[in-house]
Amino acid sequence: MADGQGSSRSPASPNGGGSHESGGDQSPRSNVREQDRFLPIANISRIMKKALPANGKIAKDAKETVQECVSEFISFITSEASDKCQREKRKTINGDDLLWAMATLGFEDYIEPLKVYLARYREMEGDTKGSAKTADGSAKRDGMQPSPSSQLAHQGSFSQGMNYGNSQGQHMMVPMQGTE
Amino acid sequence: MRQAGAYSGILSGGISKTGPHSLPLARIKKIMKKSSDDVKMISGEAPIIFSKACELFIEKLTKRAWIITMQGKRRTLHKEDVASAVIATDVFDFLVNLVTESNVADNKCEVNEDSQVIVET
Repeated sequence: MADGQGSSRSPASPNGGGSHESGGDQSPRSNVREQDRFLPIANISRIMKKALPANGKIAKDAKETVQECVSEFISFITSEASDKCQREKRKTINGDDLLWAMATLGFEDYIEPLKVYLARYREMEGDTKGSAKTADGSAKRDGMQPSPSSQLAHQGSFSQGMNYGNSQGQHMMVPMQGTE
Repeated sequence: MRQAGAYSGILSGGISKTGPHSLPLARIKKIMKKSSDDVKMISGEAPIIFSKACELFIEKLTKRAWIITMQGKRRTLHKEDVASAVIATDVFDFLVNLVTESNVADNKCEVNEDSQVIVET
């Protein structure tokens, strides 16, 4: 019985993977590759549950299918944005390229929520950049960031984000992280 | 009055890999880089946009699939519901191959299971 479950499980997950590169699904390596190719299923499951009524259940094969679809979505949008960058002879794909690609490919209803999300993020990052400029003052005040190198400043923006995310996160998602 | 400091989460190894975002940015970046050889540089905010966009995408796909689950008077969302939602929705056209390919594999499994059932009975 356990074997049957195992074998029905293995063809499902590497399906999307197998189409991109040849990869055996039995070797432990495929796990590493899967990590490169897909977003964590626990996160995906959490977002899916949020979209369903409380009595709704999700089969594992549905989660795996959505997991594959999300990676395909990222590739689909990125390729379109990348083409645009090439046409305009730019090397870096930026946020506006992605928004443009989403609008072009039929996801225009994502644009507004994404702009709001990005504006909030930029606000947070703006705060951190501001404190990085006046590094001495802020370091004394915070007593937490001794060397304001660009990398640390960047991490700082994420750390501020975490606080922000936590206040938001309470009703956005279940604060359980150890379910992988 | 002992309270966790603002930075305690970070100092004790971080609250999560994702920070304020619901999906891990490093993983998103890896998937972006894999999508084409032309993708060389990605701005810092690109994975952040994707973390939210993927969330919206998962929500929409799941809700569409759930409608099909409900139509079948079921309470568990299955892979076939996701496939039907993809086929029925124009913006998900780019996923049709992906979901139908896995459906073919799935049908084979079902046929096998069915035949086993027949043999048993």
